[in-house]
Parts: sequence; C-alpha cells; structure tokens
Amino acid sequence: MDRIPILKLGDFLLVTVQVDMHDRLAMNLQEDLTDKIVSAHARGVLIDISALDMVDSFIGRMLGNIASMSRILDAETVVVGMRPAVAITLVELGLSLPGVRTALNVERGMEMLRATISVYAAEYSEYHGDPF
Amino acid sequence: MSLPIISISIQFEHDVVESRQRARQVAEALGFEGPQQTRLATAVSEITRNAFTYAGGGRAEFFLDGSSVPQLLLIRVTDHGKGISNLAEILEGRYRSDTGMGLGITGARRLMDKFTITTAPGEGTEVVLGKLLPRRAPLITPAMLSKLVTRIEKQKPRTLLHEFREQNRELMRTLDELRKRQDELLSLNRELEDTNRGVVALYAELDERADRLRSADDLKSRFLWNMSHEFRTPLNSILALSHLLIDRADGDLTAEQETQVAFIRKSAESLYQLVNDLLDFAKVEAGKTVVRPIEFKVNDLFGALRGMLRPLLAGSTVSLNFEEADQIPDVYSDEGKISQILRNFISNALKFTQTGEVRVSASHDANRSLVEFHVKDTGIGIAPEHIEKIFEEFGQIDNPIQRTLKGTGLGLTLSRKLAAVLGGSVSVASQVGTGSVFSVSLPQFYAAAKRTSATETLTPEASRQRSVLVVEDHFETRLLYTKMLQDSPWQILSAKSIREAENILRNVTPSAILLDTFLTGEDTFQFLAQLKSDDSTHKIAVLVVTAVDDRSKAMALGADAYAVKPITRQFLLDTLRRLADPPLKATVLLVDDEDVSRYLWKQLLNNPDIRLLEATDGANGLERARMEKPDLVIMDLSMPRMNGFEAIDSMKKDPVLRDIPVLVSTSKILTEEDFRCLAGHVLGIMPKASLSESGIESRLRSMLQPASLEYLVASPETATKGGNR
Repeated sequence: MDRIPILKLGDFLLVTVQVDMHDRLAMNLQEDLTDKIVSAHARGVLIDISALDMVDSFIGRMLGNIASMSRILDAETVVVGMRPAVAITLVELGLSLPGVRTALNVERGMEMLRATISVYAAEYSEYHGDPF
Repeated sequence: MSLPIISISIQFEHDVVESRQRARQVAEALGFEGPQQTRLATAVSEITRNAFTYAGGGRAEFFLDGSSVPQLLLIRVTDHGKGISNLAEILEGRYRSDTGMGLGITGARRLMDKFTITTAPGEGTEVVLGKLLPRRAPLITPAMLSKLVTRIEKQKPRTLLHEFREQNRELMRTLDELRKRQDELLSLNRELEDTNRGVVALYAELDERADRLRSADDLKSRFLWNMSHEFRTPLNSILALSHLLIDRADGDLTAEQETQVAFIRKSAESLYQLVNDLLDFAKVEAGKTVVRPIEFKVNDLFGALRGMLRPLLAGSTVSLNFEEADQIPDVYSDEGKISQILRNFISNALKFTQTGEVRVSASHDANRSLVEFHVKDTGIGIAPEHIEKIFEEFGQIDNPIQRTLKGTGLGLTLSRKLAAVLGGSVSVASQVGTGSVFSVSLPQFYAAAKRTSATETLTPEASRQRSVLVVEDHFETRLLYTKMLQDSPWQILSAKSIREAENILRNVTPSAILLDTFLTGEDTFQFLAQLKSDDSTHKIAVLVVTAVDDRSKAMALGADAYAVKPITRQFLLDTLRRLADPPLKATVLLVDDEDVSRYLWKQLLNNPDIRLLEATDGANGLERARMEKPDLVIMDLSMPRMNGFEAIDSMKKDPVLRDIPVLVSTSKILTEEDFRCLAGHVLGIMPKASLSESGIESRLRSMLQPASLEYLVASPETATKGGNR
C-alpha cells in the first residue's frame, strides 16, 4: 500500500527517502526499484537518504541488497546525503555497507554514475572492437 | 529510583518506527547530543524490531534512573515470545541473521552504556538498554521530568507517512461508508426493482381485468342481442295467433274467452315491447345501429306521431298537442329514430301527467343548424337529484305514480343513445310538481349522411300507412271517422275546408279522399271535378259522403263511391279497401321452413283469389317456382339446405324466374351487408315481427305496389268476413 516514489531522470532513477521507513516500506522499495530498473532500462540509481536521521541494521542491509541487485541488472547504485551521525552509528553498529557506493549529495552522485557508465561503455567498445 | 517517561506498545510494524522516534525525542529532551540521539534511536530500533519480528510484539518503556548526576536513561523492551535459544552464539557475533545483518543485539550492546538481556525459552525476553545522560546536563527532578513528558507526549511522532496513513485510514473509512451506502443503494435499488416488477405485474393484472370486463360487456351485449332475437320468434307467434283468435278468424269466442285472449295479447305485447327495447339497446351498444337519413318535414313527423300515439290517450283527461312546425325547415336525418325518441318522451310524459296537457313543439337554430324538439308536460316533475338517474339503464324513481305504472326503464336511456347516434343530445328541465320539459337537440343535417337509394327503398318504414284525407267541416263527424278508422290500416288526415285539403294534397298523396259535399259556403263538387281532372290527383279514390242524396252528380264528376250519411264502420272500411284494391287472381309461393310463419302468411293472404303454394327450403322453393311460375315469391332467409340469399341469387340468374317479384320475410336482423345483397333483387323486406302488427296489410300493399300486386292483401276486416262467409 505504501510506496516511496521513484523518479526517472534520463538514464537514472532517483529515490528520495523522505520518511522514516518501516521495514515493509523498505522491502517494497527494494522490489519497486528492481522492477523499475528493468522497465525503464535505467543505468544508474541514486538513493537520497538525507532526510533519514537514523539507519539501522535492517535499512542498511536493504541498501546493500539494492546495490547488489541493481548491479546484476546492469545499473550502478549510489547512496547520497548520508548524515554524519548516521555514518558514525553505522560504523559503530559494525555495518560497513559493502558494495554500496556513496556520494555527498545528488549532484556528486550523478557525476559519479555518469563517469562509471562511460568507463563501462569504453571498456565495452574496447572489448568488442569498433566495427570500422 | 526510576521515573517512568513513556511507554509504547509494540503491536504493528509501524510501532517500531514510533519507538525509535520516541527514543530520539526523549533523548533530545533529556539533553543528548545529535550523534547520541542517533545511537539511542538505532539501538531502540534494533531491539524493538527483534521484539516485533521474533516475538510478535511487546512493550518499550522509557525510564529516568538515578537521583544524582549523571542520571541514566533506561529503556526496557519486553516481549512474551519463545525466548532466544542461541543467545550466547548471538552475543559472541557468530550468528548470521537472514533478515537484518545479524547485528541487532550486538550492535545495540555496542551503542549503549548499559545492556542486559534475560531470556527463557517459552517465557519471553527482556532487554534493558541504558545510556548515561551527558555530563553537562543538569539534574532532572521529577517535576522537571513530568513537564518534559507532557512536552514529549504533545510532540506526536508525526511523520509524513503517519499523516499519510491517517489520511488513508480516513479515506478507507469514507470508502467503507461509501461502500455501505452503495450497498444500501443497491438493496434499495433491488427493492425498487421488486416494487417495479410488482407494479408491472399489477398493471398486467389490471389489463387482464379490463380485458375480461370488456369481454364481459361484449358478452352482455351479444347475449342481449341474441336473447332478444330468440325471444321475438315465439312472441311473434303468440301475438299473431292471439290476434287471429280475437279477430274470430276461426269461429266465435265467448265474452270470457275474448277477455282472456285480450289479456294474453296485452301481456305478449308488453313483453314484445320490452324485448324490442332491449334489442334496440343492444344494437346501439354493439354499434350495429344503422342510420338511414332521409329528408322530411317536421310537420309530417308530428302528424305520424299524432296518429300513432292516439291510442295512448284513450280514457285520459290529458290532451296531447302538437304545435305547428311550418317554419321549421326540412330535416335530413333518421326520421324513424327521431320518431322513436319522441315517442319515448311523449309516452313518458303521458304516464306521469294526470291532468293538463302534453305539448310537443319544435324549434330551429339557424346559426348552429340545429333542430330541437321539446316535449312539455304538466306532470309530477323530477327532483334534481334524480335527473341523472332516469337516464340510467333500468333506472326508475320511486314514487306513487311510478309504482302504478309499468315500464321497461330503458326508454330514456335508449333515447339518449339514439340521439347520440344521430349526433345530438337529450336534455331535461324539470320542477317537482310543475312538470318537465324533455328536449332532444339534433343537427339539422345528419353529418355522416350518405344516401344509398337501395337501403332507402328497402327500409321497412313503419309510418308508411295508408292515409285517407277526410274533408269534413263538422267536428263531431270528423271525430266519428277518426274513431271508425282507429286500429285500421288507415291513417286520417283531416281538413276542415277545401283550402286546407288542397294544402295537404300539395305535400301528401293519400290513398283515398272522404269528401263531404255539404261544406259551409264551399263548392265541393267543383273541388271533386278539379281532383279528377288533375293528373297528380285523379288516381286518388274519392268517396263522397253526404247528407243530401245527389248520387248521379257525384258519380258523374268522377267519384269512385257514394254514400249517404250516416255510414257504418264496416261500410267505410270495405269501401276504402275496395276502392284501393281491385281483385285479381294470383299464385303466391311461400318458401319458409317454419310452420308458424307459413300459417301466419296464409292467414294474412286469406283471399279466395289467391292460390297459395308452399315450400320448406330454398331448393324446394326453386323447384316449385320453375314448375308453377308464381306471381310472387315470399322468401324466408334462414332455412336449412339452401337459405334465402342463395335461393334469391339462383332465381335472379335463371332467365325464367328472373322476373318473378320476391318479397323477403324474415326474423333475422339484417346487416348493411345483407341489405346490399338484397337491394335491387327484392320488392321489399317484411320483418316477421310485423306480421302480427295491426296495419300490416297496408304496409304489405305498399310494398307490393311496384309489382301491381297490392290487391293480394285484403284489409283485415273484409278478410275476416271473407273467411267466415
């Protein structure tokens, strides 16, 4: 029933988490996002958690899952706008979010995604060779 | 000493979110810094999630512990789940969770200053988290805390999501209500549909009832029609036979017998009248009435009525007066029906008037081209509340006179219906004790008028009596003649002077003229000569009756008969008959399956000069006709084997029989179609009902006139004498 909106921004998807998510909401977001990556042929996902003042182990794990799943679907995930207190707590919790790339804000996150994708594209064409 | 701050029940997923938000609020209120707030909230989130996820719910309670700085914030999370079996493993960090990161308990322990966990399998788990308040924070007294608590409680942990949910819930409630209302509407709709179906069914039932009523009404009309019809045949026989008895056609009757037969006849007549009224009534109801409009003078109509109603006045002190109607223009309508209406009015008026007069008048409204007839009496009158009732079928008013009088109760209803058929209306004005005026207002020209000569010539016209013009200045003598010719086929037209006689002759051609030669101050011989020399009148038989014997002069001037006063009734009737009917020999073929009818005809044609042949059906009749070549065929219509229509048809196709005149005698009520079939092929149609009526002879004669056969029928008196001789 409850859903967090996912916006399409060119090749990327932007998710801005503005409410304190309960667990089901977080699970729903995970499902929606994977569906949307496929249907929108998205190459990157930006998850903005600047509004969250707390990330516990469940949400942390969810972020990690999103990152790994989207990678399998050929999309990079960047989590942006994490508050310092949240980062500290995550570390103290022993949560290092492996495989989740982070950026300071949405702008940086976009740049990061573009760079990554163009590198991939270059690698791709190098590997397959230019037809001419 | 620990002071309670807030307590949260963990039942739903969202309560986990509320717990951690409350933890943050409490931490903020107690003076914890930002990162500490996050730590607290995160730890509470981990532990309450465990309680919700593994134990299905529990409770989170916040306390402030300690009476000196630093105080301790305690959070106790309890549940009543299965307990944790592998606590040691978890605490050592060796456990991998498949929901979180397996870090919930250990992480929380790491984040807090104090952490105790007690668990027993099947009894639940209690986790107490403790965090020391910041060193710089002031000591919080119970009073301060209660203020803080009020503030925290006011701060509802409202998140957008919460709001959203609240609205959602509201929406759900509204939706629910809407659904309920829709259900209600649906059931209402169903109810309405049921009602509707009921109404439709009811309508169908009403329709059915109406149909049944219509068919019942139809049946009533048909029953009336058929019944009346069936009644007429035996009644005709009773009437005719009693008539014969009274006329002593078969020997004398004793005085007692005569009275009895007269009663039989009288009863039969009133029954016959009733049946006829019913039949007329049924005819109008069934729409079978045929209007046969002709052009006629109102004065003639009044004359005929006067003659017809005279018997009703016998022994009465009431006088019946007809006003002159010279100024009324000719009317084109059904004279027979108007006559019937007026007869009803007049006989009614006579019935309810004991002294005074009944006055009949006519008026004409040129603007609307309406003719109105009024019958005014000086009788008992009708109370206003009864006026409508007298027009109802069988409606009669209860009053002393009424009780003594018999009537069918159909007369006025029938009059009204007949008037409606002619496009007019009937009205009545009345005052109790003073009298009533019954009026019928009719269009001067019958609207749906369409002249068909066939029906006109075939109409068995009741008023076609033979007339005799009596020219006599002496009132008593005129009255005497009137009495003599009462109940005879002769209708009297009287004139006091030659001028009056001439006036009458201009309009009417009587069969005979009874002329007194001694009129004061007038030359009657001159008038006789004039009559006999005029082409239009020279055929009229003239009987000269005078007080002065001057036979040769009268005969020389062309008188057909001569007599000296006083004359007897028998002489008058015989002479009139002789003058009008010269005898000849003739053969008449009677084709009828009914014995009674044949018998009646035989009586009617009881004339030694007639050879009467009989046949009992059409085929037999045709055979005899070919053999005998009769001068006249009298044909019944409804017969076995070959009916009258077929027989007449065959005759008209046969070159030998084609020219034999045919007279139809039937008790069938003829339709327009029947009339068309017969038109041009037959001399006339004689309803069997009229075979017993007085005056039948003259009617028959006028019908036979075109074939010059009128001599076949004798006037009743002479016929009777002939039979006795």
